[in-house]
Amino acid sequence: MWRLVHLFAIAALIGSAGYVYRIKYQTILEAEQIVKLKHQINKTKDEIGVLHAEYEHLARPDRVQELADKLLQMQPLALNQIARVADIPEKNAAADSIGHKLEELGLGLSATPSNGAAGATPSAR
Amino acid sequence: MKAAFLSNLRGRLMGGASRLFAPAADKGRGRIRQLILLIGIAYLGIAAKLVHLGLSHEAPQTLKSAADLAAAGARPDLIDRNGAILATDVKTMSVFAEPKNIIDKDEAVELVTAVLPDVDAHELRDRLNSKKGFVWIKRQITAKEQNEIYRLGLPGIGFWPENKRIYPNGALGAHVIGFVDKDNIGIAGMEKYLDTQGLTDPHVPGFQVDPEALKPVRLSLDLKATQALRDELVQGLEKYHAKAAAGAILDVNTGEVVALESLPDYDPNDPPDFTKPANVGKINRINVGTYEMGSTFKALTIAMALDSGKVSLGSHVDARESLRSGRFTIHDFHATHRVLSVPEVFTHSSNIGTARMALMVGVQGHQNFLRKMGQLDRLTTELPENAKPQVPHHWGELNTMTIAFGQGLNVAPLQAVMAVAALANGGHLMKPTFLVRDEATAMANSEKVISEQTSESMRYLMRSNATHGSAGFANIEGYYVGGKTGTAQKIVGRRYSNDKVFNTFMAITPADKPKYLYLVIYDQPEAAPGDGGYHTAAYNAGRVAGSLIRRVEPLEGHAPFLAPPVHPFPLIARLGYGGDADRVGKE
Repeated sequence: MWRLVHLFAIAALIGSAGYVYRIKYQTILEAEQIVKLKHQINKTKDEIGVLHAEYEHLARPDRVQELADKLLQMQPLALNQIARVADIPEKNAAADSIGHKLEELGLGLSATPSNGAAGATPSAR
Repeated sequence: MKAAFLSNLRGRLMGGASRLFAPAADKGRGRIRQLILLIGIAYLGIAAKLVHLGLSHEAPQTLKSAADLAAAGARPDLIDRNGAILATDVKTMSVFAEPKNIIDKDEAVELVTAVLPDVDAHELRDRLNSKKGFVWIKRQITAKEQNEIYRLGLPGIGFWPENKRIYPNGALGAHVIGFVDKDNIGIAGMEKYLDTQGLTDPHVPGFQVDPEALKPVRLSLDLKATQALRDELVQGLEKYHAKAAAGAILDVNTGEVVALESLPDYDPNDPPDFTKPANVGKINRINVGTYEMGSTFKALTIAMALDSGKVSLGSHVDARESLRSGRFTIHDFHATHRVLSVPEVFTHSSNIGTARMALMVGVQGHQNFLRKMGQLDRLTTELPENAKPQVPHHWGELNTMTIAFGQGLNVAPLQAVMAVAALANGGHLMKPTFLVRDEATAMANSEKVISEQTSESMRYLMRSNATHGSAGFANIEGYYVGGKTGTAQKIVGRRYSNDKVFNTFMAITPADKPKYLYLVIYDQPEAAPGDGGYHTAAYNAGRVAGSLIRRVEPLEGHAPFLAPPVHPFPLIARLGYGGDADRVGKE
């Protein structure tokens, strides 16, 4: 009976030792991974910084101006091409100019016969 | 040697002790005493060593701390008001050596200089033979160089990451941004300001700053406006064959400097050595140069006269004859030989008229006013560079008369800009700033120097000068520009030269409720072909200011007005003036 208990205890001891051993090494591995990732993050951040600087260098206004002067067939902006939104006149109410014309000619939509109602030009049927 | 000395000492002591304690009956007690003595000596030895360690200055250095100390520290990015990067750090590699770990120094020198031909072999040998634990071989090397040195496989030579400051926009705004040295320490401009404000990693042991904690510093500059300013100035410089040019755009309501350029300039990535005389011309003329501002100073004189109440817009000043004072005679450049109204004095830029007005206020009053406007004392801003105005030692009536029209008092252009901005913005004198600032803060730190009515009168005068005076070239349709030219004769030898001039132009937009003040300066311009030989400010500085306004206003999001403002000058309109600024020249 006691022997069994002892065996069991020893097995548990060895098992737990192995478990702890594994966890410990896993932790070390994870810690190494973290350090590696941190390094990578820093490196990437530095690279992003370099790219930012490079972008600013390439998009600097004097270079853009030079390229635009050389490559684009555009004219300089004239001041009369700029307007405030408030200065643009209000849009007129939508008007059906063709309908108007037809109405003036006496051919308006209201005059078209529909659903068998007596039309203005029944004789045309 | 030490051990031998100690054992010798011990032997002598023991001998001495045994002789001393020999007669004593109790031998055990003597032994104990000996033991106590020995232990005491041992403790004394330890204490001495501790004191020695404590007193020695050279603490043992690890490689990391040595490299960290020597490496260039991190700095925050500088960004413009819209967030564009003006200065940033990038990581580069530097190659260093630990002399004590190098086996064959001559071989190391030979191999390293083969890869890095610009490293001086003699100097490198000296450095490697020094007793230091850490020396730089070369700072900020390229990836290719690093690879080649790595392949040499020399022991005692390694790489350390450093921060290198780069300025992606080159010369744009260089005079405001400044530059740093190899150790990333600010030498000029806002870079130096950052260091004085503790905004950078100071690189002192125990004061390490996490580079992540360095927040970008936002300047008041607008990169696009700065580029427009520089481009226009460069074009004018070529067209008018001027010696130098400078310009600035100031937000008159906040005191923010939106753009500042001074030509010739430099690329902060490769800064000039300002101790060399060849580079003196590259200084920031707006902050450091002091000049006789010429007729732009007349605006100050007229504002002073109006604000004193001795003169009103309706007053008349006699300009029929040249003004005599002792040996000197004051002439008008565009002589009218008649009695001028105050607006006419301004638009005709009458020296006689302004001199008379200054005399009405008196020497003391004139001095007090100019001091109040910040023209007699050094103007300090965030930029470390500044200059003291050159004020005459004995300031008599003649000085007041000449200073009234801008001769005899040299000020930094930024100073004059500050004063004119105060004339335009309702009378609030505020220090120009190179950092973003809102209007409320600016107003809280401002000083009321002239009345609202005087300010409005000045705006009216500047506007009328654009429609009927010398500022016509800058009268850009739709922006209600007001302006003042200034053509100052340069002193050659001891006399004012007739053909060498220093030209300034100041413009405000829009004149009824100013937002921006433009300053354009040309030093010694020549008449452009087709200008009939005129090289006065209107023809060069005025023109450039005009194209600048045309270009910058839309950039800043200001669309041109379709019609001029209806009641531009309500206060003086009540007094019967300026109802129609566009008619003033005839009044």
